[in-house]
Amino acid sequence: MDDNMNDSAPALRIDGLRKHFGRPAVDGLDLTVRRGELYALLGPNGAGKTTTLRLVTGLLAPDAGTIEVLGVDLAREPAAAKMRMAYLPDEPLLYGKLKPYEYLEFVAGLWGVRADEAAPRAQELLDWLDLSRHAHELTEGFSRGMKQKLALAGALIHQPQLLILDEPLTGLDAAAARQVKDLLLSHVAGGGSVILTTHILEVAERLAQRIGIIRDGRLIAEGTLDQLRERTQGGSLEEVFLQLTAAS
Amino acid sequence: MMSAVGSGLWLLRHELRLFWYGAGSGKGHGAGRRPGLGTIAAVALVWLALHAVGWLAMRNLADVPVGDPRILLAATALLAVSGTFMLSTAIKSSVLALFERGDLDLLLSSPLPSRSIFSVRLAGVVASTAGIHLFFLAPFAHGALLHGQWRWLGVYPALVGIAVLCACAAMLLTLGLVRLIGARRTRVVAQVIGALAGALLVIASQSYSLFERQWQGRMRELLGGMLGPDGVLAAGSSVWLPARALLGDPGPMLALAALAVAAFFLTARHTHRFFAVGLQLSASTGSSSAGRKAVPVRPRFGRSLFDTVVIKEWRLIVRDPQLISQVLLQLLYLVPMCFVAFRGDGLHVPAIGAGLTLLASSLAGSLAWIALSAEDAPDLLLVSPASPGALRRAKLAAAVMPVLVLIGAPLLWLVVRSPLGGLVLCFTASAAVLGAGMIVFWCGRPGVRSNFRTSGKRGFVMNLLQLFNSLTWGALAWLLADATSAPPSANAAIGAGAAFAVALLTLASAWLMRQPRDRAV
Repeated sequence: MDDNMNDSAPALRIDGLRKHFGRPAVDGLDLTVRRGELYALLGPNGAGKTTTLRLVTGLLAPDAGTIEVLGVDLAREPAAAKMRMAYLPDEPLLYGKLKPYEYLEFVAGLWGVRADEAAPRAQELLDWLDLSRHAHELTEGFSRGMKQKLALAGALIHQPQLLILDEPLTGLDAAAARQVKDLLLSHVAGGGSVILTTHILEVAERLAQRIGIIRDGRLIAEGTLDQLRERTQGGSLEEVFLQLTAAS
Repeated sequence: MMSAVGSGLWLLRHELRLFWYGAGSGKGHGAGRRPGLGTIAAVALVWLALHAVGWLAMRNLADVPVGDPRILLAATALLAVSGTFMLSTAIKSSVLALFERGDLDLLLSSPLPSRSIFSVRLAGVVASTAGIHLFFLAPFAHGALLHGQWRWLGVYPALVGIAVLCACAAMLLTLGLVRLIGARRTRVVAQVIGALAGALLVIASQSYSLFERQWQGRMRELLGGMLGPDGVLAAGSSVWLPARALLGDPGPMLALAALAVAAFFLTARHTHRFFAVGLQLSASTGSSSAGRKAVPVRPRFGRSLFDTVVIKEWRLIVRDPQLISQVLLQLLYLVPMCFVAFRGDGLHVPAIGAGLTLLASSLAGSLAWIALSAEDAPDLLLVSPASPGALRRAKLAAAVMPVLVLIGAPLLWLVVRSPLGGLVLCFTASAAVLGAGMIVFWCGRPGVRSNFRTSGKRGFVMNLLQLFNSLTWGALAWLLADATSAPPSANAAIGAGAAFAVALLTLASAWLMRQPRDRAV
């Protein structure tokens, strides 16, 4: 999987990214996610977080700018770039009439994962996310949290190096949120990278190595939590966030 | 009209507003938009045209005596068909009004009496049930009125009365069915009733001509005896009371109206509690998988992309009873076709071929729309590294293969019985199936699976191309199969050539009008 990969390239590099929907949704965004890093992208509603992620995953075409995933240019080699990443939107991409195993079979098939890799991986993910006892039920009867966990299992079945998550903890109960957070930390500990958006600042505060704050499609601040605190003389991330988004 | 906030009348206005908004989207509830002026004008024009037809049709019928058994028989048949359709519509409306609109939690948690809520919902079901029938039948009554025959206005109380009875029965049936099988399957039952009504209508309309001449004579004789002055179906028989109500006979009309009013108030009075209980129960049985024992899956990873997509599509179709019933109910229309094909003097290969071709084309078009256009998770496919072309080809194959298998057996039988004709039909049916699939492949617009019967298949151009595809290959099947048994006439040869040319032109048009795909990168 890594044969053609540039080892020194960051997990994600965005340069001068622009997207207009009548008004600028993403406006000259530059952003880098390092390998083995969990990067949290924060911003008020309508700041351009989801649009950025949809541009990175190839769901939207940018008006300008470049996106590289582990050194692979998304525009030039979309299939190669997509092989290396996975996307989990805020609304899980599931089929109500499929059972979890069948869903994972399908996703593994889309990414061309070999059977000897996919089968144990599926079992491991379902066990980890506490879905094994529901593995033979149709997902249409699942709760929001179960659907979100299954979608996450689908995102991880091909062992992507870059995981792109849009509000991954929305609607999850405490136990499910804990499971997802543990899984993300494990992914990062294993050398993978994560970029996520969230409105739950505590998640960013506790999980992210670096935090980017976006407003009106532009990155207005970036750094570790301590760096952001220094910049604003703030206390908690909430205070930092409110100061930065109000000041800009 | 002013009404106190929170009163039953106020709630009725709210219902009417939702109905009006829903009319624009064809969804029957408030999720849509108001009908545009163009739609209103088009509907008004159709209604005016129906009045013209009604005026012409009623010129000779208007003064037919109510006691004429032939008229009573025709009116009874009309009511039977309308009633069956009404029951089907009423069940669907009941499921929608009670269990799928999702606003009853709000209404029941408000201080409004649940009896008022239920009465208004029942009135809404009556309106949606009677509306379409009145739209088509009232112009005939108005036509008769223009000829001086006021009694035909009995259509109004008769149809509304029957709609009320159907709505009451449907409400009770729905509450019972939802308790037993859940809301989704109850909708399937409603669809099956509707489709059966449609198939019965076709069969009934053909039944007389399907019998051989000697049987036709005996039937005429038998019916004549029954309808005669001393027969069981004489003009005075109580069997004709609904028909008499329809024809404006005051006594039966008043009796039907009284029965309908009583049924409405009794249903509203005694079932509102039952309704609330049913609503709560539906929460636990609403999901079609709830309560069903999970069948263990043997996971099988490592399939090719093609196999993965095809199997996923088949699983989604087979597990959706509502969808599969909508698609497969088209097979019901094979029944009258079989009667035509096998009656009397033996096998009618051209009729079978044309019917099979039309059916296969229609089925393939439906399945292709479901697989290609009604993808539940399009973003998942777009973010995957799989080639969009390969995915769409696999989806097309998933739609086409079951149809080819389904028509394979009858085609094989035809090849055995009539080799040349059978082979010709293999060609036309396969071409029709592939053509229907390719039209969706090129021109299908994204839609929602649950909207299969309503707005889901929207796209005037695609539907028109599908129609041309079905008709041209069907006509070609008929003409070519006919030509295998006897030398074709010059007109038949020209017709076959024209049909083939139009079929190819249809496909070429679909290719030229193909939709740009929305893959960004």
